Amino acid sequence: MKRNTLVLTAVLFILSTFAWAGWANYEYRKQAADRMLASVAQGELVLDPESGTAQYLSPLKGKPAPPFVLEDLNGKKVSLASYKGKAVLINFWATWCAPCKIETPWIIELRKQYASQGFEVIGISADDLNRDDPKELAKDKMEIAQSAQKLHIDYPVLIDGATLDKPYGGLDELPTSFFVNRKGLVVAAQLGLTSKDDIESNIKKALGN
Amino acid sequence: MRRGLVSIQMAAIVAFALSPIFTHAQVDDSARLKGSAVEYLFPEQVTVPASKATDVTLHFRVAAGYHINSHTPREEFLIPTTFSIPDGAGVRLDKAVYPAGTDFTLPLDPTNKLSVYNNEFTIQARIVADAGSHLVEGKLHFQACDKSVCLPPKTIPVAFNVTGK
Repeated sequence: MKRNTLVLTAVLFILSTFAWAGWANYEYRKQAADRMLASVAQGELVLDPESGTAQYLSPLKGKPAPPFVLEDLNGKKVSLASYKGKAVLINFWATWCAPCKIETPWIIELRKQYASQGFEVIGISADDLNRDDPKELAKDKMEIAQSAQKLHIDYPVLIDGATLDKPYGGLDELPTSFFVNRKGLVVAAQLGLTSKDDIESNIKKALGN
Repeated sequence: MRRGLVSIQMAAIVAFALSPIFTHAQVDDSARLKGSAVEYLFPEQVTVPASKATDVTLHFRVAAGYHINSHTPREEFLIPTTFSIPDGAGVRLDKAVYPAGTDFTLPLDPTNKLSVYNNEFTIQARIVADAGSHLVEGKLHFQACDKSVCLPPKTIPVAFNVTGK
């Protein structure tokens, strides 16, 4: 009886050790995967010796734009995949971002100018959404809609952009833009307010001009 | 009995072999830490008359090259800087007096004047403390930008000891 108890205790110990080791291993792999994902997408600002200006080097350049499906301001699901075959500017902005408000009119003009060539813009709001409180959530959405209206944005505005933080490389600074060509590859990225000419130059790259 | 001992030995070996994984997961935190755009400077402790409203000047510093919106930003949707003290700390915030903002214009929009704080600024907090010693864990909420990018809104702790006598 005593021997059986000892064996049973030992077996339980082994099983709990395996469970613990499995959990620890899962946690470790999860953290490692998160770190890898973050490091893959994280870009950096470097000085361009030719222009003397800071250039945003995104590791996404030359790679397929990470897919996403987000809601627009009317609650309709919009996917990046639905823009297949078009050149797309993915512009991350926020209601509280003053530099974003300077570049938005440029983006609106450039969209009109290049729309006939198959160019589209997706604005993605990085504003926090209070999903725990329906009233606050409705207020958050209304503020984004009002801000977009005030800026005369006439392209789709998607919400909850913070969920794309990892695949698109941090997004801890706004505005941030990614230029995607007709094949779905990121051909250029911009961090911060630059100039209308810079944006136009990257649109041309996306269009393959 | 012997089988039992073998089982125990096996368990010990497994636990020993796997222990580095867990240790590694705990200590290896390579998450990138970015400093806050605003830092609370002082005071660390104040002594005030108990149950009597008293002004305490809180000092802050904004990181070089950055600015935060003042308490009264001129544009809609910009996030004002606010100071608060949570309830139940033995210290109540009666009123906070914020400095006037400094005019700031973005180089690409020189006509639009923003109202901001940069470098060092102070907030006059009128507090009412119960008798005794209290650790106040106040909060400063702000949103910072430089000339071309903005960082997400952030709340930093503003911790100081208050002795009510």
